[in-house]
Amino acid sequence: MMSARVQWPEKVRADDIVKVRMLIQHPMDTGYLQDLTGKVVPRNIIRTVTCHLGKQEVFRVEPSSGISANPFFEFYIRATVTAEFKIEWTDDKGMTGQHLQIFNVT
Amino acid sequence: MNVDSWLRRKSLKSLLLAGMTLPWLMGRDALAQRMNSGLLLTLEDMVQPIVKGAKIFKKDVQIEAPILADNGSLVPLEVQVQSPMSTENYVTHIYLLSQRNPVTQMAMFQLGPWNARANVSTRVRLAGTQEVVALARLSNGEFCYNQMEIIVTESACVDAS
Amino acid sequence: MNSNPITIQQAIENVGLDRRHFLKVSGTASAGMSLGFFLPERAQAADTPQLNVWVEIEANDTIVIRYARAEMGQGSMTSAPMIIAEELDADWKKVRVEYATAHDNLRTKRAYGDMASVGSRTIRNSQEYLRKAGATAREMLVAAAAQKWNVPASECKAVLSKVTHTASKRSFTYGQLAADAARLEAPKTVQLKDPKNWTIIGKSIPRVDIPDIVVGKRQYGIDTQLPGMLHAAVAACPVFNGKVKSLDASKVENRRGIVKVLNLGDFVAVVADNWWRAKEALREVSVEWDVGEHGTLSSANIMAHFKAGMEQTELAVARNDGNTSEAFSKAAKVVEADYFTPYLAHATMEPMVCTAWLQGDKLEVWSSTQNPEATLAVSAATAGVPQSNVKVHPVQLGGGLGRKSPQDFTRQAVMIAKAMAGKPVKMLWTREEEIQHGLYRPASLMRFKAGLNANGKVDALHIRVSAPSILATLLKLPLPKGVDGQAVACFNDHPYDIPNNLVDYAQRNTNVPVGFWRTVGHSQNPFGRECFIDELALAAGKDPVAFRLDMLPNNEKSKRDRGILEAVTKAAGWGSQLPNGVFRGVAETEGYGSWTACVCEVSVNAKNEVKIHRVVIGIDPGYAVNPDNIVAQFQGSVVHGLTAIFWGENTIKEGRVEQSNFHDYRMMRLNEMPKVEVVIAPTGGFWGGVGEPAQAPLAPALVNAISAAMGKRIRSLPLKNHGLTLKA
Repeated sequence: MMSARVQWPEKVRADDIVKVRMLIQHPMDTGYLQDLTGKVVPRNIIRTVTCHLGKQEVFRVEPSSGISANPFFEFYIRATVTAEFKIEWTDDKGMTGQHLQIFNVT
Repeated sequence: MNVDSWLRRKSLKSLLLAGMTLPWLMGRDALAQRMNSGLLLTLEDMVQPIVKGAKIFKKDVQIEAPILADNGSLVPLEVQVQSPMSTENYVTHIYLLSQRNPVTQMAMFQLGPWNARANVSTRVRLAGTQEVVALARLSNGEFCYNQMEIIVTESACVDAS
Repeated sequence: MNSNPITIQQAIENVGLDRRHFLKVSGTASAGMSLGFFLPERAQAADTPQLNVWVEIEANDTIVIRYARAEMGQGSMTSAPMIIAEELDADWKKVRVEYATAHDNLRTKRAYGDMASVGSRTIRNSQEYLRKAGATAREMLVAAAAQKWNVPASECKAVLSKVTHTASKRSFTYGQLAADAARLEAPKTVQLKDPKNWTIIGKSIPRVDIPDIVVGKRQYGIDTQLPGMLHAAVAACPVFNGKVKSLDASKVENRRGIVKVLNLGDFVAVVADNWWRAKEALREVSVEWDVGEHGTLSSANIMAHFKAGMEQTELAVARNDGNTSEAFSKAAKVVEADYFTPYLAHATMEPMVCTAWLQGDKLEVWSSTQNPEATLAVSAATAGVPQSNVKVHPVQLGGGLGRKSPQDFTRQAVMIAKAMAGKPVKMLWTREEEIQHGLYRPASLMRFKAGLNANGKVDALHIRVSAPSILATLLKLPLPKGVDGQAVACFNDHPYDIPNNLVDYAQRNTNVPVGFWRTVGHSQNPFGRECFIDELALAAGKDPVAFRLDMLPNNEKSKRDRGILEAVTKAAGWGSQLPNGVFRGVAETEGYGSWTACVCEVSVNAKNEVKIHRVVIGIDPGYAVNPDNIVAQFQGSVVHGLTAIFWGENTIKEGRVEQSNFHDYRMMRLNEMPKVEVVIAPTGGFWGGVGEPAQAPLAPALVNAISAAMGKRIRSLPLKNHGLTLKA
């Protein structure tokens, strides 16, 4: 099961504009390269990443083979109330991943 | 600045004045030996599938990236779009486009007023020295953009630039 | 800490600064400071007006012209400034060439453009902007003079560092005008000289670095000396891509002079107060390597891997016009042959060497690099410091040959410097490390098949390559349509008028790392192609030169193939009577934007010793900037080429390279060197490279001659594997 890490400042107050940094473990195989025995490593790219705060979608990215392995994304959200931060992603193989973390707003 | 780089800039700059509709420009064909990733696209080629004939304005978008990338597999890229990000006026999408990669659209970010800032960062793969374009779609349907040349130093052996 | 005067002198030479200028400011630098960072950028010196980033003129008329690439003996540190000097109408005797640095380039948002010395591109890629830089500066000087005399600029003429008002015969030297000229706005457009009016370009001007080389003053990367500098010897896993599992340094840790033993993941470093101690101690550090699954790789299973590529069903197609299979079925005669060229290490005379000094978040690097910008970027990333905090000091390279463009060794040196924070460390590879940790020319299996009609005309040509891809493995670049352009160089773009062509490629990577060996794809593919063309000429019963000329179409590009082939064969006296036992061979190819050809005359005795009687080799580079330098490039290419042709190969056993030094990776000897007759036949109208194309036609011309002498075809290199040696 692939993992993800997400980070934001320790102390978040309501109405703060918060920087969110996210890293997903994934090879993002382009399908253009071979392994050292000469076999093509098939394409396996994360197709969609969504982030929800509670029920609301707050971020979505559709990467391509042009995004580096172990995709890293940084974006901003305005803090309102404490909620569950959920990252979900799907790749070419149909594998899905999920990461949950409480987004604490004081 | 050599001829190839100059010509590339010329084709990207020409005719993309504020408010003008893009005329069609020929993509430059490249010798297989030099442009290992095939065609070097014009700006028009890069944005057309997204804007579909709509006007694009070179304003309000900043790209932060190293001019010299040590490694074409991992190039940090940050895009900032000036926008109030209010419910009446916000950035809906940011597209990262490559002039030279096999897949032009490196990523599409979807945003909303809840983001408060139209500012995204990621790390991209660049198949050689090229222009990258950040294209933003606004809630009123308008597009604005900026572009930046990134030198992928390790691929100097095969870049024509 | 006192600054040793000798060290300062060397350091000045390292950074290419004028001694007088340095002494002016040294009074303000306190003892013990880093010499590099605290010297002011020369371009801002008040007493040296800068007309543009390329040209500064001192009051005493000295013209400082900047050179923004690397000098590794290819001579472009002279040719590129000659181009500027030409348009500048400078008196060459007053010119002093200085490096532009990668940090200058970053600071000025790349005002110097590309800085990599690769792909034989310096002259042909920079000539236009260098000419414009020279012309711009000249026009500013003329405008300054015209202003001083209050006359129109059109009445003034610039010649040999002087501007003269034709009518009144008044004149100013450039030195007298520089300050005023520097204050003027640069013209938006400039008129460039017609090549027929060149007075500097086209002259065999002696290289600017030669005097210092001859007296031993020239600072190569390996000569770098800094106060308090430590030395590092390194060893990476003998099986490529292996890692350190464990190491035991107990035997050497406390030895005199040994400062530290470092485990840096994929290599081990011993840091000491001198390099001999470091290197000797390294031999006694016992390292357990994790070689993964690659410890069984051998030349035999690599060949099997390539052969499997020849038979694979899915191939990348580089060219497919007409219908080769149909043409083959109708052909009167079908000729087939397989050719093979081996892995080759570069063996630059100066092994990999890089000195790095990390002080806080400021980094200085002295690297024998062909790509200073890559060095800057990789150094910054490795040290974790901002690029604007890195200075890459230019040094002369003791040979580059394409090995010193990748930054693997820079990365190692900076990692060591990081571990020894505060101290400068010079990391130098042994010859063994260099031969066994190369970025080898990819071994290549090539299959040729041609169909001839009843009149001996070639109707179809199919070329298949089964070989590793440099672009996909070293640079991790996606290949358009799966084709590596270097692997099929001169195959998909051959000049011959053949109606049906198929060129396909099987990418067959192995654990042997590959890279850009001088002349790259054109160092091995012309051998296959031009030898096979000779086989076809033989099958058609035609003279090899006439056969080629017949096949060249009548168009713009092919007239250059035709031109150089005729020029070289004429100089060689092709067709004239040869003494008994002496045979000729010919080859022609385009490469790097130039057209080259070669004729060799050889005899082979009963002991299989090859005597080379003549090498006649030539080039059409469009314009010949410095003819004597072109001759030197050919002479050097022949040394490099014959070495590879006769003895060059790196074989693999148990995952590692078997060769280690010049005893088993033999170089040519002085007494074996044949005379090289160079034909320079520039036809104008284009700018082609010189550094690499010089080598392209040599192997096929030589092997064609040897095959003729022996009455049998030689289809693989090196020649020693056929029992052949070079007779002194």
